[in-house]
Amino acid sequence: MSERLRQGLYHLILWLVALLFFSPVAWIVLCSFKTRSDILAVPPKLVFTPTIANYLDLFQRENFLLELRNSFTLSILAVVIAIVVSFLAAFCFSRFRPKATDFLMFLLLSIRMLPGAAVIVPVYLMYVAFGWKDDLAGLTLFYAMFSIPFSVWILKGFIDGISPRFDETALVNGGSWFHVIFKVVLPQVKPGLIAAFIFNLIFVWNEFLFNFIIGGRTTLTIPVALATGTYSEGGVDWTFVSTLTTVYILPPILAIYFFQKYLLVGMTFGTVRGEV
Amino acid sequence: MAEARPAPGRAAEAAFRPWAVLNDRRFLPVILLAPVLIFFIIWNTIPTLWLLGLSFNNYSLTSGEPPSFIGFDNYISIFNDPDTWGSLSRTLLFVVLGVGIETFLGMLLGFLFWGSTRLPGRRVALTLLFAPMILTPVASGTFFRFIYDPTFGALSSILRALGITGVDLLGDPDTAYWAVLAVDVWMWTPFLMLMTLAALASVPKAELEAAAVDRLPWWQRLRLVIFHHGKFILILGVLLRTIDSFKTMDLVLQMTKGGPGVTTNTVALQLFRRAFEGFDLGWSSALAVLLLLISIAFTATFIFVLNLRRERAGP
Repeated sequence: MSERLRQGLYHLILWLVALLFFSPVAWIVLCSFKTRSDILAVPPKLVFTPTIANYLDLFQRENFLLELRNSFTLSILAVVIAIVVSFLAAFCFSRFRPKATDFLMFLLLSIRMLPGAAVIVPVYLMYVAFGWKDDLAGLTLFYAMFSIPFSVWILKGFIDGISPRFDETALVNGGSWFHVIFKVVLPQVKPGLIAAFIFNLIFVWNEFLFNFIIGGRTTLTIPVALATGTYSEGGVDWTFVSTLTTVYILPPILAIYFFQKYLLVGMTFGTVRGEV
Repeated sequence: MAEARPAPGRAAEAAFRPWAVLNDRRFLPVILLAPVLIFFIIWNTIPTLWLLGLSFNNYSLTSGEPPSFIGFDNYISIFNDPDTWGSLSRTLLFVVLGVGIETFLGMLLGFLFWGSTRLPGRRVALTLLFAPMILTPVASGTFFRFIYDPTFGALSSILRALGITGVDLLGDPDTAYWAVLAVDVWMWTPFLMLMTLAALASVPKAELEAAAVDRLPWWQRLRLVIFHHGKFILILGVLLRTIDSFKTMDLVLQMTKGGPGVTTNTVALQLFRRAFEGFDLGWSSALAVLLLLISIAFTATFIFVLNLRRERAGP
């Protein structure tokens, strides 16, 4: 077999594997362009006349725009707060190494390793007692808190990688610590900030349990709508579900297309660096 | 220590400017840590203590009575509860099988994609491949319910074409568990493939070439060169997946709600349902405390391996 043919065959196999993994998602995206009767056709139709009626329908639902707006504001606000706070803490852990550094890093990580249901029971009681339930600010702060461990871990790894000599040079030349933190270190950890930002965003965007428990009518986001909406009125409204899912999974998919080189850092708490 | 000590003149000057505290080496670490600590105390320490206290109480929201102290009764009740043991063993089996299959397939795919740098449209292909792990389990669970649907699901009609009729994968107690496990494998095999690729990338090219020159058999190349360099990344991947898999809940909730019967009830889901459907908060708190301890053990293992890797990594 010629070298070119072998190479071509190899590439074909790789593409088939990728498409195989994507096929369930592709199927749902396809379904969102079908009419109701096409979706429920037996056997399922591969060839059909596409329609965008489902999307028009979706955007006219009373709660949809609220949910979409909530999903965006909640994830962006929470993650921005988390990153600012985490960057300062990560700088402190990396440069000053306070006595409790290892212990605190451990505690932070263990928060993220807990099953969500175990975390949310006491938080639920606390929110009910303090009257924070069904409040966008309360929810945002909770998500921020949940994004902190991951951000601190990623950012500490990146700051550790920057030689303290940069700090020393700046300080000796009369720069303040403020200058060191924001003008010397911050620009150098840009990849870390991007990775932390993107992967926290995906996490909050995807999270449903916490919002389901400590949120309410005003804080509805799309995963909550998906979880509750699928059980309404007896049967499942598959046109609605497939359309909502398609709209919802688009941002994460675009994110991993554009930020693919941060995928490894993002999926491993910054413990494994590199590109694939 | 050149940086720590401002000139005497400047120090006196600093006393009149409150914000100069921000630049003081003695206070700076505290100031930098304060926001995280505040977050930590409000949203973690207080709830955890609350949880701990509640786990020793009999407290049900449905009874309308205030919590009453019952000592270790909740823990004893959990210990004697066959449902908890059932869901715990079901979860462990889920973890072992799921992570095992995902590791195997992930490594296979990782090796397959090793030489793919010249693949046309590689970035798109990898995006498609990594998509399952980045989607919310709520959405994946939902559309797999659709795919598994016995009458108009895509998979059912494929099975029908193969001559297998009348299967309701999620409705049948014999198959529901495996159907959920299959979705988990679909979601997370790409993650272990990613880790395998990372592990392979950490193998120095020179050593691989040396092994090729020495005509080492493939299994020795695998053992002596590839695993020698890549094992820690791979172990970290497997550990992260184990921890995550132990928490599996959203997916099951969305696909089967733990049913039919309790055949797909995981321990996290059981906690969730006992707390927010049964409103038995004392009992659930006790279970949450136990899961907390298990998670801490997992985390400790993860950090242990991380440090091991750092030590072995050398210069």
